Amino acid sequence: MTTQELATQLQERFDAEQGEPDGLASPGWLSVTVCSDRLLDAIRWLWEDAGYRFLISAGSDLRRERGKYLVTNLFAQDEHGIYLAVHTEVDPEQPSIPSITPIVPAANWTERELRDMIGVVPEGHPDPRRLVLADDWPEDLYPLRWDVEHGIKPPPSDCQVPREPPPEGSSVVPLGPYFPSLEEPAYFRLFVEGEEVVGADYRGFYNHRGIEKMGCSVLTYNQIPFIAERICGICGCVHSTAYCQAVERAAGIEIPERAKYIRTIMLELERMQSHLLWLGIAGHIVGFDTVLMQTWRMREPIMWLSEKLSGNRRVYGGNIIGGVRLDIPTEVHQDVLDMLDKLETEWKALYKSIPGDTSLMARLRGTGVLPHELAVERCVVGPTARGSGVAIDTRLDHPYAAYDRLEFEKCVHDGCDNLSRTLVRLDETLVSIGLIRQALQQMPDGPILTQIDEDIPGGFEGFSGVEAPRGEVVHWVLTGDENRPTRWRPRAPTYANLQVVPPMLKGSQLADAPINIASFDPCFSCTDRMEVVDMRTDDEYD
Amino acid sequence: MLLSKLRQALICLLAGKVTLSYPAKPRPPEEGFRGYPEVDVNKCIGCGACAAVCPARLIKIEDVDQTTRRMTRLLERCVFCGRCAEVCPEDAITMSKQFELTSDQARQDLTHVCEVFMATCKRCGRCYEPATPLDRIMEPGFRHDQIDRGGDRCPYPELRAPDSESPSTDEHDEHDEHLDEPVSAQVAQVVEAK
Ligand code: SF4
Ligand code: SF4
Repeated sequence: MTTQELATQLQERFDAEQGEPDGLASPGWLSVTVCSDRLLDAIRWLWEDAGYRFLISAGSDLRRERGKYLVTNLFAQDEHGIYLAVHTEVDPEQPSIPSITPIVPAANWTERELRDMIGVVPEGHPDPRRLVLADDWPEDLYPLRWDVEHGIKPPPSDCQVPREPPPEGSSVVPLGPYFPSLEEPAYFRLFVEGEEVVGADYRGFYNHRGIEKMGCSVLTYNQIPFIAERICGICGCVHSTAYCQAVERAAGIEIPERAKYIRTIMLELERMQSHLLWLGIAGHIVGFDTVLMQTWRMREPIMWLSEKLSGNRRVYGGNIIGGVRLDIPTEVHQDVLDMLDKLETEWKALYKSIPGDTSLMARLRGTGVLPHELAVERCVVGPTARGSGVAIDTRLDHPYAAYDRLEFEKCVHDGCDNLSRTLVRLDETLVSIGLIRQALQQMPDGPILTQIDEDIPGGFEGFSGVEAPRGEVVHWVLTGDENRPTRWRPRAPTYANLQVVPPMLKGSQLADAPINIASFDPCFSCTDRMEVVDMRTDDEYD
Repeated sequence: MLLSKLRQALICLLAGKVTLSYPAKPRPPEEGFRGYPEVDVNKCIGCGACAAVCPARLIKIEDVDQTTRRMTRLLERCVFCGRCAEVCPEDAITMSKQFELTSDQARQDLTHVCEVFMATCKRCGRCYEPATPLDRIMEPGFRHDQIDRGGDRCPYPELRAPDSESPSTDEHDEHDEHLDEPVSAQVAQVVEAK
């Protein structure tokens, strides 16, 4: 199905108007507006019949521009390579919208966020509690409305987010608030009966930095990439790439070929170092520190190379709207290739030594089972999805940068356990090595930055998905007039993946909980949300 | 199992000892490393381009009087992106190799203040940057001797020499002692405690 056919279908079935706000006619992207009465029908059709995967929703305060709030639900159809935005306008007098969570469970957190941040209430939401805001943030103060200033410190209120009491007969084992093995702020309360985990309560969001608000109130278009890159401490380049691509699409900027290849190379370098880092941490968590020592040793040359190429080990700072500002000159190609050769040899040796290791296998095989159906239903992404046999990879399904010119395959395993997720990452590291080699070979000469002479016009929307090491990162941008977006909505992959952790922990052993959680490669700082599940009764308030 | 353990042992043995004896032995970063942004206050013309692009919004510009622009950099917030160095028209900013910036008093140690001598707009009375370096030199108050000669136009009346007709070179040194920092050079003062 093409986007045009989809537009016609939506028009016929649900009176969906195309292209409001003005969508750029980029291939694989469609933006429609549906009135709130027909919203649920449209969502049901997309989700149940048309095979669409839910990404995220975004609430924008457009009272100044159009006198309305705008609620946007973003979907992806991976077979046809389509990204779809379904907008619904909400009257400020009656700020509510029918909740889509009963149909699409994965929309749970993001709809609660809608209420917290913009003040649009999802009617019929199964768990309308506060999610994003701190306990002492006052009610009726919605940070993402334009008339709420950036940087305010309201006096604390005593609103309390209710905590889930443990099920009868179980005890609570706290894991956090500073997650002990991942060194990040996350607070799991595990409800255990003996050794078995029967429930969990997750409270996160300790690290909310208000980046979205900054993007729409104090930063300018070209300052955001550097802040976006700091959304994640390990895979930041994906965020700046996705943001830049979204703005470039909104403004119709075509970036030079060479810049596309450079972005690809930096993204793959980042993926390699992230997977190596993860493998080390996984080894550390299961108590096999040799893995940690050796993978981090192998990772170090990647970091040194990144420092040489970009001026920093981790935060490359290369992306900017219109292209990149760091070049990969021919002189350093050999350094890159040497590093890749050495890494490949060592990686293969490591790969061979893992499957025979029975103690490692005992910790990984058959633990942390995430069934295929649950993975599809909760719209998980990245290696977490591919480890459960869900063959999605943004690089191939919705190509960006130079990926459409490189040859590679999706790494999918269908064991649904910690081992599968490990193997996916092991395979992907080798794929990345191949991708960088191809990209270096094909990279054309030429400029790396398109000069932008005109202001980026307001009122356009742009969207981009990028495959991060942890899964698909999506950024949606609605351009504004003051040299900054009206709304910028980033979604980190862990946002999707973390929602599935509590159901997955059900029935697992307490000792496996850290590796089960870590096998998602969660990035709490990027996500920081909250979920409560009572697993014994299967009652979910997540 | 055994084979696998032997393979693992081989990986470790082949790698050998890799730990660097840092910090006992310093390890200089690669060429092009983006470290502490050093400002050459003698080159800066106070145009404000760096403040406009800085994503951390850490460069505060304020005009303390009609001829002095003060730039305060709260570098504890710096994200080392190097955008300021990239846009500076005078190449006054260098991304140095310095990365050991940890401090228990980051606020004091990493705050950098400099003041740049600006021209005064004859209409609105606010600071602006003179069109050419020559114009800047021609501005009253730019050089010590001109402070003395400046007469009514001197922005620092309290510094005006009693005999402002023909100051001799010797007197300069004397004046130097009384000068308030803001005019002691093109760029007056650098507070940079590291
Ligand atoms: S390096 Fe970046 S963050 Fe630091 S002062 Fe310069 S522009 Fe600002
Ligand atoms: S440092 Fe450079 S960019 Fe910043 S005000 Fe001075 S001359 Fe302008």
